Amino acid sequence: MKKALSVLIAMVLVLCLSGLAAAEGTTYHIGICQLVQHVALDAATQGFQDALKEKLGETVVFDLQNASGDTNTCSTIMNGFVSNNVDLIMANATPALQAAVAATGDIPILGTSVTDYATALDISDWTGATGINVSGTSDLAPLDQQAAMLHELFPEATKIGLLYCSAEPNSKYQVDVIKGYLEAYGCTCTEYTFADSNDVASVAQNACDGSEVIYIPTDNTAASCTEAIRNVVEPAGIPAVAGEEGLCKGCGVATLSISYYDLGYATGEMAYEVLVNGADAATMEIRFAPNVTKEYNAELCEVLGVSIPEGYAAIE
Amino acid sequence: MNPASLLNALPGAVAQGLIWGIMSIGVYITYKVLDLADLTVDGSMATGGAVCVMLMLNGWNVWLALLCAIVAGMLAGFLTGVFHTVMGIPAILAGILTQLSLYSLNLAVMDFKANQGINVTKYPLIVSQRNVRTLSIDNPIFITLIFLAVLIGILYWFFGTETGCSLRATGANEAMARAQGINTKKAKILGLMLSNGIVALASVLLAHYQGFVDVNMGRGAIVIGLAAVIISEVLFGKLFRNFALKLIAVAIGAVLYFIVIQVVLWLGLNTNLLKLLSALIVAVFLAIPYWKTHLSAKHPAKGGQTHA
Repeated sequence: MKKALSVLIAMVLVLCLSGLAAAEGTTYHIGICQLVQHVALDAATQGFQDALKEKLGETVVFDLQNASGDTNTCSTIMNGFVSNNVDLIMANATPALQAAVAATGDIPILGTSVTDYATALDISDWTGATGINVSGTSDLAPLDQQAAMLHELFPEATKIGLLYCSAEPNSKYQVDVIKGYLEAYGCTCTEYTFADSNDVASVAQNACDGSEVIYIPTDNTAASCTEAIRNVVEPAGIPAVAGEEGLCKGCGVATLSISYYDLGYATGEMAYEVLVNGADAATMEIRFAPNVTKEYNAELCEVLGVSIPEGYAAIE
Repeated sequence: MNPASLLNALPGAVAQGLIWGIMSIGVYITYKVLDLADLTVDGSMATGGAVCVMLMLNGWNVWLALLCAIVAGMLAGFLTGVFHTVMGIPAILAGILTQLSLYSLNLAVMDFKANQGINVTKYPLIVSQRNVRTLSIDNPIFITLIFLAVLIGILYWFFGTETGCSLRATGANEAMARAQGINTKKAKILGLMLSNGIVALASVLLAHYQGFVDVNMGRGAIVIGLAAVIISEVLFGKLFRNFALKLIAVAIGAVLYFIVIQVVLWLGLNTNLLKLLSALIVAVFLAIPYWKTHLSAKHPAKGGQTHA
């Protein structure tokens, strides 16, 4: 018992010393909280780390924690970061960002993979920057460019069906915005909403009957049942333009794709600005994906007889 | 791995644990007092926060919104009670059905958004994680302790009244309780309402503490609630006989649960394994009483029944 106790004390002392040693020199400690294990979010985290490692090399230390989809764990993780007094917090996805904002009003916070900061942080008078210790990047693909692409591919189409899940605020937001752009091209838009993956097939059928082209935003529910949608749109001969690559691969003909890696990388560059150049997160404008690529689904385009102009890359 | 940072992280773990302690007391009422496994809590743990936050965003007074949230939680419990007693659905299934329907209802309450933030600088939130390391009356630990004390006081009084006794009797021996002229169906519905009302209160505090309400906020709540109840049973079962002390033990159980999680995070465990760890914590604490009975059963026999 005594021996065990002395070993324990020795260990604690060693830990104390190593903690002190780490505090010397200018090392930047960054806490990263990612909401859930997910390909896109993983890529954003990777991009963030790569950007900072490139710029700061060995002087940056990451504490990467994953909440495994549990919003409550986000708070626990943030509590750890704040008590560690990290130099900067990177919050990957909306609930992680909200937990970070609840945890600290002082430590700079950068978000990524967040679609709409104004809604997430309950900011009514949106100016492009948050005005608090928060900035970051949005994963929204520019909707005006998406509308332009749809019009470029299908200039004759006037009846557009907007297909999305009623339970997803991000989808609703995108549909509301793109509707305005499409109507400017002289199209009439009709919304077709499904409640979950069980009624997606019948709603998609309904959308095919009433439209010439279908648009699907970055909808998680739709993304999880692309086969069901494809089984409807392909026999009906109606092309679908999708909000992101995964959806396009499954059931769409074309998409304007953003890279989550690039998005994370851009967030890393913002972190460099904050850490080294002393930029104030409160006044840093929220940034969007630096590059968008036009992509198409070669197989489905051939089946539906859609001709793709120059400048589009085939999805592998 | 700096011990000072762990020490610094403890207030947050304690505050979070106390909030979940209130929730665990709700679970205790169904699981221990009523002897029902009620899974409604996974839904009502989001309902309370959703109702309160949405009402506050619409300009309601915070305390009025809190009251409405508790009533909403009680309605959820009522629904489970009706499923169970009137429609004869087994309690576990009844809870799952309500939990399922609450997903849609919570969405509807939140204006069909999956997530809603509420800003601590703009609204008079009851508790906020920001103040967890300040020495003031705004500290969530202090405020949650007051909530806990009042709640335990009310429950202690309630379970001494005739209605409260009928609830306990229903859980202890339903057939006997019925033979004594107790309407056990009514008692069960009342117990479920009480439990989910308390869970909704915890939900409000959690939403305020973390600054947002999310439709998935309650997912896995029952595991944390049961963990707290079981930890308290194992550690304080022999020590605390008084009902109020038992409720305090449940809250301590929840705090310990979050301290363990915080320590494990501090030790640098791969967070992808966190759910496995939570399950293991609960499994170990569930196993300890079982092992204890095995050990004590063997002692008087002195090896005489090794084949048994």
